[in-house]
Amino acid sequence: MAQVQIREELPEGLKQELMPKHIAVILDGNRRWAKERGLSVQSGHRAGSRVMKALACLSSRWGIEVLSLFAFSTENWRRSKEEVDFLMSLFEEVIQTYEDEFTGSNIRISVIGDKSKLPESLQKMIASAEESTRGNTGLHLLIAINYSGRYDIMQASTSIARKVKDGVVKVEDINETLFEKELETNCVEFPNPDLLIRTSGEQRISNFYLWQLAYTEVFFAKKNLPDLEEEDFIEALTSFQKRERRFGGNKYTINQSII
Amino acid sequence: MGLGDEVQKAFCSMFPSGNCGVHLFWRIMHLILSIWYFFLWLVDMFESFLISSGLLKRYKTLDISKVQYLAIVIDSEEALQTLKVLNLLVWLAAIGLKNVCLYDNEGVLKRSEQAITEILKSEKRFKEITTSNPPLDEKGMSLEFISFSDGKEAVARAANFLFKKHYSSENKEKPNFTESDMAGALREIGYERPDPDLMLVYGPARCHLGFPAWRIRFTEIMHMGTLKSMKFGFLVKAIRSFTMVHQNYGT
Repeated sequence: MAQVQIREELPEGLKQELMPKHIAVILDGNRRWAKERGLSVQSGHRAGSRVMKALACLSSRWGIEVLSLFAFSTENWRRSKEEVDFLMSLFEEVIQTYEDEFTGSNIRISVIGDKSKLPESLQKMIASAEESTRGNTGLHLLIAINYSGRYDIMQASTSIARKVKDGVVKVEDINETLFEKELETNCVEFPNPDLLIRTSGEQRISNFYLWQLAYTEVFFAKKNLPDLEEEDFIEALTSFQKRERRFGGNKYTINQSII
Repeated sequence: MGLGDEVQKAFCSMFPSGNCGVHLFWRIMHLILSIWYFFLWLVDMFESFLISSGLLKRYKTLDISKVQYLAIVIDSEEALQTLKVLNLLVWLAAIGLKNVCLYDNEGVLKRSEQAITEILKSEKRFKEITTSNPPLDEKGMSLEFISFSDGKEAVARAANFLFKKHYSSENKEKPNFTESDMAGALREIGYERPDPDLMLVYGPARCHLGFPAWRIRFTEIMHMGTLKSMKFGFLVKAIRSFTMVHQNYGT
């Protein structure tokens, strides 16, 4: 089991032994935020990207093992070319910044999703960031770009089928456990989020981590992403720590045991 | 030093008797908070009463056309309360919902399917509701009962099916499945069902407890609290909230 390095004392009210190992965030509300202020959509996305970094830093400081950020879904390609192009260039900027800054913070970066459809320059940036942070042992930051839950299930199916064809796996061994090992979240020690936060007040998963979220506590934050602050993150964590959760029928109270 | 410590320090300086005064102060704070939460609970109960009585205009006419398929997820321990489940179904029928999927992780509801459907058939109220709501529908409410085995296990079986169908030993092509392949496979093995528009979760945890992952891409999820605390007014409020939602579907 990975050793969690506590870098900073937790805010009052939060207990270290009840902290989630893996937090996933659906980053929503950038455009609404911009529209409310009469700003451009690009301004909204840029403001949202600053919160992404803040979430990563807080998670790292508080000993979270994995943070997943749903940045761009397979459905988002249907947006205007102008917005999509801007997002692709923003991702390049963000990942370059993360590579520069997170190397020293012991944060590891991985990008999940179908990278083959991304601009080549972005693919190169991702490869570089993943390589240069591979040895980091602190927070593992997963950025989902061109990702969807259904895509992940399909690529896992294809991967398993190839292994069966190659004789590595038998057909009769195909089960949900094997599936989980083939999902793109298999690059982290804790692939199933304990807590999902979605900003903007919308109450749905929107094709993110469909398989992985079976027993994930869901917290719907009313604020748009650019308005999210540290206190909101603390509120989500506090709400998580108070919950009585059951996994597969076994009563599990956060106060009594740790997974 | 946190706010609580500062307050405690200030209080100790005001009350030199120390622990006794601090203890009393925290008791008073707890009492104030308890009264506040009780007040909020009263407001919720009153609102539920007003909705149930039809006194709130905006809840009188519900446009349920947006709720083509409703999923009810219940914690397996709570699903043992069959009478509560039946009551919930009667309410859903009263609202006019036609397609309901009942899910619990362990299959408690699945095992109770026959009993629930038999009781509903003989339940006079339910018959009156389901046969009198316009437009006339002889089928009444359609119920689907599922459990964990209809989710992840089904996808694994569908993948198995896909492989056997498309990539037998004679086929030299490299496997590459698409979403429509999976949808077709699920249909072939008997697991094709509509994606719910709305999911209401009853139980202590705010999670969907393993509801078939393939089907909940754009499903609105609302946590309703425990089955024990369910109220008709809250149900109507949740459905109305959903009818006001606008989905972009990623665009």
